[in-house]
Amino acid sequence: MNREQVLACIAQARALIRAVQAETDNPAIAQCLRFADQNLHWAQWNLGAVEALLPELEPAQQGPGW
Amino acid sequence: MAYPSYFGPRAAASPYWNPYFETLPRAELDRLHLRRLQQLVRYAWTYSPFYRARLEAAGVGPDAIRSLDDYKQRMPIIDKTDFLVLQEERPPYGQTGAVPEEWIAHHCETSGTTGVPLRIPLTLYDTERYGEGWCYGWWAVGIRPGDSFYFAFNWGLFAGFWSAYWAVRRFGGKVVSGGGQTSEGHIRMIRRLRPTVLLATPTYVLYLAEVARGMGIDPASLGVRFIYTAGEPGPNAVPAMREQMERAWGARANELLGVAELHAYAPGCPTGEGVHVDESGTFAWVRDPATGREVAEGEVGETIVTSYTNLAQPLLNYRTHDLVRPYYACRCGRTGLFYQGVVLGRTDFMVCVRGTNVYQAAVENVLGRVAGLSSHYELVLTRERGLDQMTVRAEPQPEVPAAEYAALAARTARAIQEALKVRLAVTLVPPGTLPRYELKTRRIIDQRPKEVRYALERQ
Repeated sequence: MNREQVLACIAQARALIRAVQAETDNPAIAQCLRFADQNLHWAQWNLGAVEALLPELEPAQQGPGW
Repeated sequence: MAYPSYFGPRAAASPYWNPYFETLPRAELDRLHLRRLQQLVRYAWTYSPFYRARLEAAGVGPDAIRSLDDYKQRMPIIDKTDFLVLQEERPPYGQTGAVPEEWIAHHCETSGTTGVPLRIPLTLYDTERYGEGWCYGWWAVGIRPGDSFYFAFNWGLFAGFWSAYWAVRRFGGKVVSGGGQTSEGHIRMIRRLRPTVLLATPTYVLYLAEVARGMGIDPASLGVRFIYTAGEPGPNAVPAMREQMERAWGARANELLGVAELHAYAPGCPTGEGVHVDESGTFAWVRDPATGREVAEGEVGETIVTSYTNLAQPLLNYRTHDLVRPYYACRCGRTGLFYQGVVLGRTDFMVCVRGTNVYQAAVENVLGRVAGLSSHYELVLTRERGLDQMTVRAEPQPEVPAAEYAALAARTARAIQEALKVRLAVTLVPPGTLPRYELKTRRIIDQRPKEVRYALERQ
């Protein structure tokens, strides 16, 4: 798998995680998902693919002013 | 059924912890840094009252950075003193913090060797990223998941070895905590648990070897295969120290350069000749401390560092006061900025003796080559008739008779003059009389008048 393919898979995984994050009412699961998303964000960062500093700020950073 | 191996075969065979980042060509690294620095400036402007005020005062808007030169020259240079003042005004973090309190997962502080400790808030994600710096260096020298890391360190608030703890968890190693032990206790524990990696300050690594011998134990028999140091000039800065360490422990030694409030930012090099900057976690450049202009490759200057890994208290264009000699290539193949000889001195402790700049590490390198001298020494700075003076106080090896001290001192002074072209006074003191330290060894005793010393020292 080349870098682009790895990044595409990670982006898909993050999208799935975020969908569950938005819906869960279970703090234990919310925390697991947070860790998973942070790690995948860090994987993207370590492959030079993202500039957003924190996963939690990504939507804001993509909006006006960012 | 066999338990699965920690990494798959392709990752396990990699010579690099992160092959993508560690071999990225300079032009691509620079393009990536620019985009990330632009984000970081916007982040600091938005979330840190300190940076917003500083940027506004400098006339730099959140979208003003168009090039790396822009960033280096227009982004205000920040010093520790700025943060100390604000933290004292409104504890714990003043206006330097950028996240709400509930996001802070770990509170650390600097060791306070320059005066007042700086408070360092970190989010959980910050600690993950901060720790990762070490992993680059460990992997490069052959340390792998399955190695066990002995922390000859009493924890507390000091960020340095906490970051190594975060790193071992990240890396896949085993933590063996030596917290709360005496030096003899460390040796007993190392003998009992047989860790393969010893983490400590370099002078403490050498002191532990002395302690082991005093207990009738050969440190080389204890099974330590790697020594990784931080906190003060170590084996990559001082070849003589590497020789002593590796001979005593029968282990391979390397070192990490970090700044507690910034990042474990330059995690070593397998050549042992310097350290590479972790450019995934930081952006660093080197400037002439007098003019503020970037120095050319191979010239000595102060490294200015921006951390991507501390977002609870962002540090942009931060003065380290460490003098380094930068290169953009290394025979190990890594493309990350390389500091040959690690830290050559401090802007605050670089002294000009009769027209010659004298760096601590340069003196230390000479002392390490003088037969009969031990690794215990102090450099005493004084000011006489308006000029900086440096006196070397050193301990001979215990087997050197007192009658030979004068000749050894003269030989040492000659070696310094030949190597550094400067005459320094050398005084020898009996073995065991200079203080020993577990954390940072105090090598520089600055007795100059307060007005010529670094600002923090004057407080």
